[in-house]
Order: sequence, then C-alpha cells, then structure tokens
Amino acid sequence: MAETETETKSVTSRMRQRPIVRLGFLLISQSVIVSVICCTAGVLALLLLPVLAKNTYISENALMPGSASSMLSHQEILEANKLVRDIASLSSKPSGAAVESRGLIAQYMSDLGAEVNYHKFHPHSNQFHPLHFFSGPGSEAIQDNFSCSLYGVNTVGIVRAPHGDGKEAIVLVTPYDSVRGGVGEALSLGIAYSVFSLLTRVTWLAKDIIWLVADSQYGEYAPVTAWLRDYHTPVFGDLGSLNTEMCDENENISKLKENSIPERNISYTFRRAGTMAAALVLKVAYKNEHFEDTLSIYAEASNGQMPNLDLINIVNYLAVHRQGLRVKVEKLWSLLESKWLRIFGEILESLGKLAKSLNPDWKFGISASDYVEGTATLASSLYYQALGVPTGPHGAFRDYQVDAITLEISPKYSFNNKDRRNDFLLQGGRLIEGVIRSVNNLLEKFHQSFFLYLLTSPGKFVSVGVYMIAFALLVAPLPLVAASLYADSNDLNPALRKDKKPINSDDLGGLLKSWKWLNSAKRVFVVHLWGVIVSLLPYFISQICDCTPTTNFLIWISLSVLILLILHQILGSPYSHVCEIQSQEGEWARLKSVTISSVFIGLSLMSVINFATAEIGALLMVPTSLLAYPLKLDIKARSLRSFSRMICNLILGVISFPPATFFLLKGVLEGFEGINAGDFWNWVESLWAWNSATYLYIGMVHLPCWVLCVHILLHSC
Amino acid sequence: MYSWFGSKNSAMVMVMVLLLLLCSYNAYSVSAETTMHTNNWAVLVCTSRFWFNYRHMANTLSLYRTVKRLGIPDERIILMLADDMACNARNKYPAQVFNNENHRLNLYGDNVEVDYRGYEVTVENFLRVLTGRHQTAVPRSKRLLSDEGSHILLYMTGHGGDEFLKFQDSEELQSHDLADAVKQMKEKRRFKELLIMVDTCQAATLFSQLRSPGVLAIGSSKKGENSYSHHLDSDVGVSVVDRFTYYTLAFFEKLNMYDNASLSSLFTSYNPNLLMSNAYYRTDLYQRYLEEAPVTTFFGSVMETIHTDSAYRILSRRNSQKVKMPLQQSVDQDERRSLTNSEVQEQTSDTTKEIENIENVDSLVNYGLVIMLPVLVISTWIS
Repeated sequence: MAETETETKSVTSRMRQRPIVRLGFLLISQSVIVSVICCTAGVLALLLLPVLAKNTYISENALMPGSASSMLSHQEILEANKLVRDIASLSSKPSGAAVESRGLIAQYMSDLGAEVNYHKFHPHSNQFHPLHFFSGPGSEAIQDNFSCSLYGVNTVGIVRAPHGDGKEAIVLVTPYDSVRGGVGEALSLGIAYSVFSLLTRVTWLAKDIIWLVADSQYGEYAPVTAWLRDYHTPVFGDLGSLNTEMCDENENISKLKENSIPERNISYTFRRAGTMAAALVLKVAYKNEHFEDTLSIYAEASNGQMPNLDLINIVNYLAVHRQGLRVKVEKLWSLLESKWLRIFGEILESLGKLAKSLNPDWKFGISASDYVEGTATLASSLYYQALGVPTGPHGAFRDYQVDAITLEISPKYSFNNKDRRNDFLLQGGRLIEGVIRSVNNLLEKFHQSFFLYLLTSPGKFVSVGVYMIAFALLVAPLPLVAASLYADSNDLNPALRKDKKPINSDDLGGLLKSWKWLNSAKRVFVVHLWGVIVSLLPYFISQICDCTPTTNFLIWISLSVLILLILHQILGSPYSHVCEIQSQEGEWARLKSVTISSVFIGLSLMSVINFATAEIGALLMVPTSLLAYPLKLDIKARSLRSFSRMICNLILGVISFPPATFFLLKGVLEGFEGINAGDFWNWVESLWAWNSATYLYIGMVHLPCWVLCVHILLHSC
Repeated sequence: MYSWFGSKNSAMVMVMVLLLLLCSYNAYSVSAETTMHTNNWAVLVCTSRFWFNYRHMANTLSLYRTVKRLGIPDERIILMLADDMACNARNKYPAQVFNNENHRLNLYGDNVEVDYRGYEVTVENFLRVLTGRHQTAVPRSKRLLSDEGSHILLYMTGHGGDEFLKFQDSEELQSHDLADAVKQMKEKRRFKELLIMVDTCQAATLFSQLRSPGVLAIGSSKKGENSYSHHLDSDVGVSVVDRFTYYTLAFFEKLNMYDNASLSSLFTSYNPNLLMSNAYYRTDLYQRYLEEAPVTTFFGSVMETIHTDSAYRILSRRNSQKVKMPLQQSVDQDERRSLTNSEVQEQTSDTTKEIENIENVDSLVNYGLVIMLPVLVISTWIS
C-alpha cells in the first residue's frame, strides 16, 4: 500500500514539473513564433533607441563646469596672436622651417616659465601581429629596424601646479606638422598657447598641465602614441638614451640646440608629471560653416571604447552655454535623406502625440526631424565603435585608461579675417580653460558617469542598460531554436515524449543517437579552426608579397578556399561516413543547432568586448543562421512558404558574407561608382593595424558561421 | 541576637539608601530647573570633505566668527572642520576662505582655532565630544567641558538625508545617535539648554528622535526638502555659503553683544522663499518662551550676574549645595552623588594646602640662596 503511494507520488512529481522548466519547454516547442517575435522586437528596439535616449547630465559633483568665470584676457590673446604670426612667417620660408618652428614654440613655452623638453620618436607604421591582439600597447615598443632619417620631434611643455602635489596632470595636445602645417594648426597652437600662458600664472591649479605639440609629419596618432609609451615606460640608466642617441649625429638636432640659446628650461631628457586625469586634443579646421562657429567632438577610441561621458558633458556644456558654439558629433549624413527613416520618425511622432493626448505625463514622442538626426548620429556612433579604429589622436590615451577627446573647432569666417581671429582665439581659449579648470576640480579619476554609451546627439545618450535590450532580444531566440532543433532531430521533444517511455540507458541505439551531435560539433569546430587560419593569412600575405590590395585580396580568397577544401578532405570526410549510414535526414538540423549555438556564444562574447560589433553582427547573422534551411528540401516542397524562405535564404546568404556586406554598405553610403575589389583588403588592413577586435570577430565568428550556414543551404539531404 | 543585629544592620542600610536616593533626587531636580546659566559653549561642525563642499567650511567658519564676536571665547568653542579648503591647491586665494563673493572678509585669518581637523572629524569623535568620553590623552582644549549651567550651541552642516548626516563621505550620524548623545549629556548634566542648528538637506529629520528636556532644535529644511547654496563665487569657482546659514548670519550681523533680540525673532526671520526650503524648529522640549529668550542665550556669552558681598563665602555655600560634576563620570549616578560632596570639599582643602605649599617653596628657595652664599665664599677661598 505504502509502496504504491510513493509510486503515484513520484509519477505526479514527474508530471508536475517546476514552472520554469515548463516555461522553458513551452518556449522551445514554440521556438518559431518566439524567434520571429524576438527578432522583430530586437530590430524595433534598435530603431527606438533615439526615442529612448536620455539627456546627458553632469554626474560628478566635483566637476562644476562653468562655475568659475574665465580668466583669459586679451593680453594672452595678443601674445598668442604674436606666436601665430611668427609661425606663419616661418612657414613661408621653405628651408629649415620645421626645426625653427619647433625652437620657436619651445622658446615661447620656456619664456612663460614652463619646463620644456623635446621628445624624439621613430614613427613606425602599425603592423599586424597575430599574437599581439589585446596585449598592452607597450608590447610593440621596441622596434629595431627604424631608420635614422625618419624621426619626429614632439615639443612638450609642463606647468607645475603651484600648490598641487604633482601626482596628477591634464594633457593638452595640439598636432602640428611643422613642414606642411597650415593656418589652422597655427591657430590651434595659438589657442593652446593662450591657455598655457594663463595657466603659468594662476594659483588654482591642482594638477600639472602638459602641453604636447605633437609632430604630425607622420600622422597625428603616431607621435602621441610614442610620447605616451615613453611617458609610461620609464627607463633607468643609460638604456633609455640608447634609442635617441643612435642618430644623434643628425645635424638637425645640433641645429636645434643652437637655436635655443637661453637653455634654462629646455632639455632633452624626458620630463614627466603625474598620472593623467584627462587629455584634450585640440584642432582647428576651416570647414566653411555657414551658421556659426562649431565644435566637433570625436570620442571613439580603439575597439569602441569611449571616454567617460562626463568629459563630453563638460565640453558640451561649456561650449553651448558659455561660448555659444554649436556642438556636433559625427553623423552618417546619407541617413539624413533616407525616406523610410523619416516616415518611421513621423509615425513615432504621431504616436507620441497620441500618447500625450491620452496622458499628458507620457512624454516619449520626439519630432520626426529629431528622430532622423538622432538615428543618423546613433548609426555613426555604432559604426565607429564597431569599426574599432580610433577617430583621432585621443584614441592613444584610451589605451592607458586616460579619458580623452578630440575637439575640432571650426570658425564661421575664414582664417584670413584678422578681426575675427582674436575673438576666435579668445572663444577657443576660454573653452579650453573652462574644461581644464573643471577637470582640475576633479578629485579622482573620471568614474561617476557612463563608459558604455551611444550618443544620439551631443546632449543625448543611450546607456548600456537600454541598448543591451535590443541586442538581448535579437540573440534570445538562438539558444531556443538550437534546443528545439536538437530535440526535434533526436525526437526528444517533450511534447512528443510524454506518452513514450523515458530513454533507457541500456538502449545502445538511443545512446548513439543522443551523441550524434558530436559529429556536427566536430564539423563546426573544424570550420572555426579554418576561420582562425583565414584570419592569420593576411599577415603572411603581406609579409610575402608586396602586391596591390586587389591581388592581395584575391590571393587571400583563393588561399582560404583552398584551405577549406583541404581541411574538408582531411578532417571532414573520413569520420563523417561512419554516421552517414544511420541517419542522414536529421544531420543538417543537428549541424544547424550546433552552428546556432556557436553563433550565440560568439555574439555574446563579442558583445562584452565591443558591443557595436556584436549588434551589427547580430543583425546580419541571427536571421541568416535562424532561417538557414537546405535549398533542396525547399525546392522539393514547392510551396509558397518554402519558396519565400529560399529567396530570403539566398539574399541573406549573400548579404552576410563579409566582403559583400562591406561593398554593399560602402555602395549605399558612398555610391557604387568608385568601388574597387582592393578596398576590402585596405579596410581589413586598417582593422588589423589598429588591433581591432572586429577583425577577430569577422575572421573567427562571422565568417565560419556564414560558411556553416551556406553549408546547410547546400546540404545534400 | 545575631539575627537582630542582622536585621538592624539591614534596616540601617535601608535608611542609608533612602537618604541617598532623597539626596540624589534633590540634587537632580535642582540641576534641571534651577541651576543658574553659568557659561556658554559652542560646538561647530562641518562634516564634509572635498573642494566642491567649500561652502560647508565657509558656513562653519562664519558661524564661528559670529559666536566669537558675540562673546563666546575660543576655549569654549569646539570647531570641527572635515577638510582644509584654505590650503586646497584649487583655492585661488591660498590660506583664505570667504563666505561672500565680495571677498571682504577672510574667515580664515588670525585667531582661528580648529580643534578637530580633517580626518579627525568622525562620528566617533563627535559623539565623544558631546558625551565627554575621551581618552585620557585628549587635551582639555579638545573637550567640551560644559556643566549643568551651560548653554550649548551645536551647529552642524554638511550633506544629510532622511534621519542622517554624512560625515567625511564615509560614515553617517543618524538621528538616534544624536538623540542618544543628547540624552547622555542630559543625564551627565553637561548642559542646561542646548540649541541644535543644522544646515543640511532634510535637516528636520535629524531631530525626530530627540526626547531630552532643554533641547531646542532648528533645521534648514523639512523632510523631503533640499537646502540650497546661496550664491556662487565665480572667482573661486565654488558656492561659498548656504542659504540658511547666510540668512542666519545676515540676522546676526545686525546684532551686537548687548542686543536683546529674541530667539523667536531669529526663528521667524527665515523667509521660505529666500531659503527655497522651510526652516523647521522644534520647541516642545524647551521650557522657556522663545519670545523671552534672547539669542545671546546660545549665540553669545551673556549671563545673569549676581552681586555678592564676599565671593568666597558664597562660593563655598553654593558648592555644598550644588555640585560641579567632575569630568570622568562613572555609571552609577547615585553613588557618585554622595561622594562628590566630600570630594569637592577635599578638593578645596587641597588647594589651600597647595597654596601654603607654594609659599613654603618660596621661602625654601630664599633660604637656599642664603645658604649658597657661604658655600660660594668657602669654595672661592679654597681655590
């Protein structure tokens, strides 16, 4: 009696599973509907992000931007103007202008009482090192094969804080090409000089000020990286001078020494200040703006890292509310004209109005034009983060966890307008002074505000908590579909299993059947291995031959295909025929299940490293992998549904092939005329040169998964 | 026999205890109501660090200056400043603190005695100051040596919230901590009247747990309200004073030591529109009428004087009745009460003996000098 009772109990307990498990089974059995709903919601959520964007606010109490009135006066501006004129007159002379202008700047700096030193560096082009991904920036420090003729000289001036403890510093960078430098660069030097000269006299500095005049003959990024590397890797003893002294016979340096006659503060030893609290890269460009003086902010550093939002906030606040500048962030201009986006925006606007009429407290509607602008900015924000290539010299600072942005000021009038020049210098100088004073108030590193965000306008942002929803919705169906496919292929579907006996462990056939996924997993693994090899190939190609990008690209593709075939022959065939006998019909489903799992794992990992890449990758890869269905079966079925699925599959299969995606995007954004097969190679080269994780993602996640999806499409079942 | 003796003994003990109780009750009731106001103390606390909290230090220093001007001497002011803005590298005017953008008055000039500074300003030290439980090494200047005739002004400013006040960005003083400390002070007869003035957000919540009689409390804002800064000094780059303190100071600037402005005139002077919050004051524990109590009860050191013919006789008589509390008190109040009478008398006798001793010492020195002379003569003669 008692035994029967316990038996019935156990039966009922088996019947009545925990609700979460039942919910899981329900979701898995309804995976098609769930995945359609989730994907649509994910795309919609992405499109809604500009509506959900919040206004930025200054989160750190200590910053207090704009609370102090500007101290920059016309006196400093006059001096700065003098410097600008001197530099302009030097650059009109053709010979030796570089050395002289360097000396001139150093002289001006040291006249202010600042400590000045020259920093010599050898610009080496970024090169792809397969093993140096994610390793620190110092790892590629010592390069042996530089030539003595190729070097640049940074000029560095340091103002010590009179009452500060000297443990922190704020960096101001002005890229200056002493050979080809135009008026814009001279003006940026003028602005920096005016602020610098003010800061030598003020009493309120708590952090040292470093002004780095980066020699941008070999690009703007290289001198800043070189200086930062030397700043952060102090060398002791004579080893440090080895590098610089190797080419010391160079006449330029001796000439340089002659020039700086009163050498009280100018030295060649590397000078340092404390840890950097923030860095501002200052540029002046004439962009023929018609409306007013504008300030463009560039913030994206390598791998989509952003500086703390507070830094952008204070610059934005001071520029808008104190200096009356128009602040801009990058936009994808082509999106502004897109019709469907405007229509969508109008729908949202009317929805917002409707909601407001229902309840005046609901304020989520934004106007259609705002929406389009927000989307364009958001798209550009996503694009530059996904690219993983820094948008300016500020990117070098992010590698050392220093918050930095590039400020590009462009005046309304041309530079030749002398009357406007003083006003322009004053405006720019006051902006920089305000930002420095605000950062000077900071007590700790920037930490209060967001690091993970997307901008939809200079004053609006979407934080990680919001944009992750879109991604999570897109990715959510992947494990469900994988589970459901696996269950279907093994007849493990809980709905079907109910009346059957549970699988007996003695049943060898069942056991074998349940382990069949290993075969598919092996295949997926081999393809991923191939992906690794493919992503290493460009390094060897670029080492071996010195060809045009187009040929390189073709070599790369042909080699990849060849290796895929070889791998298929070696690893693919001999084992697969063992299982072939048993059941071929479920094979593609198992393969798809494992592929989807690998897509899920890859995307989730990537979303941690670089969200934007993962988001764009998910937009392409999730529908492709979810829809993948053998074409043969579709043709056999001859129904409308299968036909439309086939078409979708073919389109997605083409689109999600990385080079095809690249060319399509490029064509849509820039027009299809100037497209060259080598462009993709160049693009990839830039990705690996900047150690972008996107490159790894494409090579090791995206491409293998695409190959697997194509494999499923062409499956012979 | 034995039992009788025992019972007699126990009866005697009973009588003794009754006597003691009676005695202590008398002493207690005397101290609470009828003790004369003899001295004024001020405990001024700025609880927040960091440059952007400049105004809190300026608040406290301005109040310090005001109470000093109105007659509380430096040795009776405990000034606690959690940070040193004057020496902050960001200060445009090194070693100076201003509470107004006109920079006419440097609050951090000469004669500012800061008793607790920087990281010394903790909740623990604050409660120790109030309750008088110090470690032996703490000097007298850092102690609140008040007695049952003291009027104490306790001013606090910083960042607060619902029933708490933040100290040093790391710990907080809660309303029940404050109430407990005040209760202990009352029990230890460390004050006659106490005014707690708080300038923080939701300052009123800090008083919610106070139960001790003789306590008057005023806060800058009610529950759910913020207290705001008054103005920003664009030269220094920070807000320099809070609204509540600013208008308190404005009220006191019109007064001098001899004015008879009442506490109620101070309390009603706060205009909610100017404060941008509602000043809240709690009077249910305070016995006197606010209209009759002059502000100098707390903010100055004006005392009732009693003319007496002979200072010493009066003093000795008062001593026998009403006892000054020694600083370190044991827990057992009743035992203590009986002991203190004799102790104080002993103390007085000790002092007279000491004075005699001192006179003896003088004569001793004189004699010694006289004796030295022949010794000197002899020694020179020998050499």
